[in-house]
Amino acid sequence: MSTDEATARRRYRILAVLSPLTLLGAWAFVTAQGLATPTILPSPLAVLASLTDMVGHGYSGVDLATHVLASLRRVGIAFCGGALLGTAIGLLRGRVPEIDALFLVPSELVRPIPPLGLIPLFILWFGIGETSKILLIFLSVFLIAMVNAQAGARACSLDALRAARSMGAGRWQAFRFVVLPSALPQIMTGLRVAMGTALTILVAAELLGGDRGLGFLILDASSFFRTTYVFAGIVLVGLIGLASDRAIALLGRRIVHWEGKR
Amino acid sequence: MTDSLTEAPPAGRIAIAGAGIRLGEGAAAFEVVRDIDLAIPPRQFVCLLGPSGCGKSTLLGALAGHLGLARGSLSLDGQPVAGPHPERGIVFQQHTLLPWRRVLDNVAFGPKMRGVPRAERLDRARDFLALVGLADFADRYPSELSGGMQQRVEIARVLINQPRVLLMDEPFGALDAQTRLMMQELLLDIWTRLPTTVVFVTHDIDEALFLGDRVLVMSARPGRILEDIPLAFPRPRGRDLVTDPDFVALKRRCLDLLRPRDGRPPLPRLTPLGLPLAGAA
Repeated sequence: MSTDEATARRRYRILAVLSPLTLLGAWAFVTAQGLATPTILPSPLAVLASLTDMVGHGYSGVDLATHVLASLRRVGIAFCGGALLGTAIGLLRGRVPEIDALFLVPSELVRPIPPLGLIPLFILWFGIGETSKILLIFLSVFLIAMVNAQAGARACSLDALRAARSMGAGRWQAFRFVVLPSALPQIMTGLRVAMGTALTILVAAELLGGDRGLGFLILDASSFFRTTYVFAGIVLVGLIGLASDRAIALLGRRIVHWEGKR
Repeated sequence: MTDSLTEAPPAGRIAIAGAGIRLGEGAAAFEVVRDIDLAIPPRQFVCLLGPSGCGKSTLLGALAGHLGLARGSLSLDGQPVAGPHPERGIVFQQHTLLPWRRVLDNVAFGPKMRGVPRAERLDRARDFLALVGLADFADRYPSELSGGMQQRVEIARVLINQPRVLLMDEPFGALDAQTRLMMQELLLDIWTRLPTTVVFVTHDIDEALFLGDRVLVMSARPGRILEDIPLAFPRPRGRDLVTDPDFVALKRRCLDLLRPRDGRPPLPRLTPLGLPLAGAA
């Protein structure tokens, strides 16, 4: 690696760390100056105190870990299911016109509907239990993964496909060894977007009811004006989002090691 | 080097009779090539020379089995061409190497598709990489190679399938002039060592005359074969050939043939936006 690259990389890291610290500093400054009412914007230290309190004593009689795990479980199941099914159908839609035709109208009818608008319907159909919450997240992940996989499947050049066929690859082999890897960069980008959306829907879905999960925690705390707990819950969701995004991005760079080098 | 390079494929005789190819659908369909009659004996190096849009690549696509004929017939060693097959390998202007695979695995792609065991196919891939002079680059990724090297890998990954026919669609068109000359000599060198018929599409007259046993000059669309020029220049051929009086005479003949005929103006030059360029008639 050249020194220029090393410098650029160091600068990137410094900026990436500095920007959240600056935000945190601004937040601390505003609250320390008494510029905001604590019930509206509590100080970072107060939020940290609530977080520590929850780590020690749980929230509303339930361990914090239980809340976090309940949320992670919902997102995990829905994300994996939606990503797998959405990617599979999206790839097929990208290469097989008949399958694209089957899915075109239904998926484009459902896609513009805000998932939160479906909440009442899902309560009617699936009740207020786990099924509703997971299906709601599943649906949004599925749609995002499908659209990206479909676009990715079309990214592969006609010449590359023809060359593969001329080298003896059957239709399935051409799909497996040429189309699928060509689509991976876009699939991975789609999964990052889908994970962000999944966490958004998670918090909303947990407003559906139940007494577990970070969404429940945030809503419950806010209805009692326990703003520091609301913030602590938000911080936890944010951290999960950050961690999952970095994990998918890292995985993506591992799998799609050739991207940007062509 | 093992003898995997020299196992002789059966032959490589191409016969085209009354072939016509149409592209597009319904009212928008048009005839790209018309009335092509052609017999190419095994091991011949044939260059298809023509202006852009004359259908020479389309004809090559039909030989590869990627496009169907509207009329006529097309066969290799008496077998009608139906769909792509490793016995008819094709090299495009832009390489189609898989960027996620090492050079060696790219070369071994064809044998892998046909179920050749890993150790065996990698051994053979090494032989063919050596043939194109890239034995030291087996573990690199395609993006780490220059354009000329990428195209050499592409040639190796087609030849490893021991094609009876090597189809080349302006394979050196995207390379710089120096590299192109080097690749032409490399190709001739390889071809003398492999029993393969070559159909080489180009719009570069020098390239066609330097490489071929025979040059087929094609007309503008709908493409027909205007003239079938045998080239008797002895092999191995050196760069001096291009200043040989016979070579220059043939080049002049090709230039004449490629000049627009019947007083028809040339097609307008297009700008990147697709509009005719003012004053470029």
